[in-house]
Amino acid sequence: MSSDEATTSPGPAPETGEGRGEQAGACSPRPVVLSTHSLTKDFNGMRAVDSLDLEVCKGDVFGFLGPNGAGKTTTLRMILGLIYPTSGYSQILDHRVPGDRLQALKHVGGFVEVPAFYPTLSARRNLRLLGSISGDGGEPRIDEVLGTVGLYERADSKVKGYSHGMKQRLGIAAALLHKPELVILDEPTSGLDPQGMKDVRELIRELGRGGTTVFLSSHLLHEIEQICNRAVIIDRGKVVVQGPVSVLRPKQMGVKILTNDQSKAVAVLGATLGSQAVVMDEEYLVATADGDAVPALVRELVDAGLDVRAVLPAVEQGLEDFFLELTTSSDRDSGGGSSKRGGLLGRLRR
Amino acid sequence: MKSIGRETVKVLSLKRTYLGWAVLTLVPIIMVLALDLSTNKPPPGEGPPFFSNIVNNGVFVPLAAIAALSAFLLPLAAAMSGGYSIAGEAEMGTMKTWLVRPVSRGAVLLSKWFVAVAYVFVAMAIVGVVGLLAGWAVFGMHPLVTLSGATVSVPHGLWLIALTYLLIFMEMMVIVSFAVLISALTDSSLASAVGSLVIMLIMAALIAFSYFSFLKPYLFVSRTEAWMSFFRTPIHWTPIRDAVITYAIYIVALVGAAWFFFRRKDILS
Repeated sequence: MSSDEATTSPGPAPETGEGRGEQAGACSPRPVVLSTHSLTKDFNGMRAVDSLDLEVCKGDVFGFLGPNGAGKTTTLRMILGLIYPTSGYSQILDHRVPGDRLQALKHVGGFVEVPAFYPTLSARRNLRLLGSISGDGGEPRIDEVLGTVGLYERADSKVKGYSHGMKQRLGIAAALLHKPELVILDEPTSGLDPQGMKDVRELIRELGRGGTTVFLSSHLLHEIEQICNRAVIIDRGKVVVQGPVSVLRPKQMGVKILTNDQSKAVAVLGATLGSQAVVMDEEYLVATADGDAVPALVRELVDAGLDVRAVLPAVEQGLEDFFLELTTSSDRDSGGGSSKRGGLLGRLRR
Repeated sequence: MKSIGRETVKVLSLKRTYLGWAVLTLVPIIMVLALDLSTNKPPPGEGPPFFSNIVNNGVFVPLAAIAALSAFLLPLAAAMSGGYSIAGEAEMGTMKTWLVRPVSRGAVLLSKWFVAVAYVFVAMAIVGVVGLLAGWAVFGMHPLVTLSGATVSVPHGLWLIALTYLLIFMEMMVIVSFAVLISALTDSSLASAVGSLVIMLIMAALIAFSYFSFLKPYLFVSRTEAWMSFFRTPIHWTPIRDAVITYAIYIVALVGAAWFFFRRKDILS
């Protein structure tokens, strides 16, 4: 019935995140939907989550970023009341978890790890069961969420025949069923094909536009960059940085350039940009420069008698490097590293 | 309660539910067929007086069937039903799907226990009804002779058999409760089912040794034969009362312990 209008369309992806939540940390005047307060969890003497303080504002599409094993899922489990914190607590709207778990969970939908359903029941019957808990199990709403995630056609077949991607979509449908104010998704695009990833990301953007707050865990930096407006990066259970995603994106863009004589090109551009801004990465020359400056750089190379064979954006590399730097280097607090990274860290640190 | 309805939907969606009931249903049917086709059946009045009733009285079939089943198959069904309750969800990963919704953990646990117990109840009801019908069809219904040698009418005999079923049902509730407790602790339905059966068998082994006879009043398996007191004339109520009290204490303690652990459990599966 309503499946057509609700189906996600991979249309032009608008830039969510721009111009929102630019003020780091504080939500005001927006209300805080989710916060954690010195949230800590020990497993068998190992500290999985270490005094985590997060603040997610109403309307945020909030990225929760960290490498595998950083404590993301453990944090989500604590927020959702599945496991008990060793100390600290989370708060959803006015309700503390674990103290006021039942009230808090009325406002939340979501899943941790791979969403699981009763394999011998159809998607529709699974949603009916879950819907009966919150009293929002009406068939029109079930049709609507099934349409939203593109499962309407297969809604009456048993879940055990579903692919990983379909289970993932059903997880999202279940999370949205009772129209929660806060949606918590744990790596929702993992295991999806490229089209599925695109659909899910578009869906999350749409949720954000509709005023739903989304807390999105991911280990994919570019995913967070594409769809979130604010983000936190955690590593080994601790916050590394927290703030608007627009700050995560380096203002200094890089370009990768391929010419017929790379050593000469390095010399030419080094003279213009400074030798620190020009490095070699395999066969490419990587120059740190604003996008606006790129035509001038190319002209300069051509004027020097070089053949420019390719000019590519090097943003990915810059961000992935940055992420790795933040999350793997043991001496990241020492202020060492290149000036570019130091600058980014400085900007991101609250 | 809504929660019980949801758990019922889940259990009824499983093939094994019907498979278990079907296997138990076969027992009284096989029993009747075997006795009817057997060429060397003891003539009436010979053999152990009470149990020889079965070969010529359909009323006895449900009793003989449940006595045979309660030795192993019925406890097995109870242990599997209880063991699956929580651990089954953990194994499928659905416990987390369920518990991120605003449901009280206590309600989830109790409704799972209730449905596991109801499964056994339905199984016993099927065995009783099928046994009675099969026995009636083949042997007809006749007044029965009790262990004390008195004769009681068919309706009275059926009433005694119903009471026997209830007492054995209580014993099965104890096994379900053991399985639910282990289920809440271990996340493995197989371990829970096997574990509760092993507990039952160890207790049965203990009471076989006179050295451990001091334990006897405290072990629920020592009440297994209490139902026979229904078939004395007049009924010996003391062993029955003791059995009911013992079972009740076990059930409350086991379910209470399961609730205590499950309430604070970290759901990791």
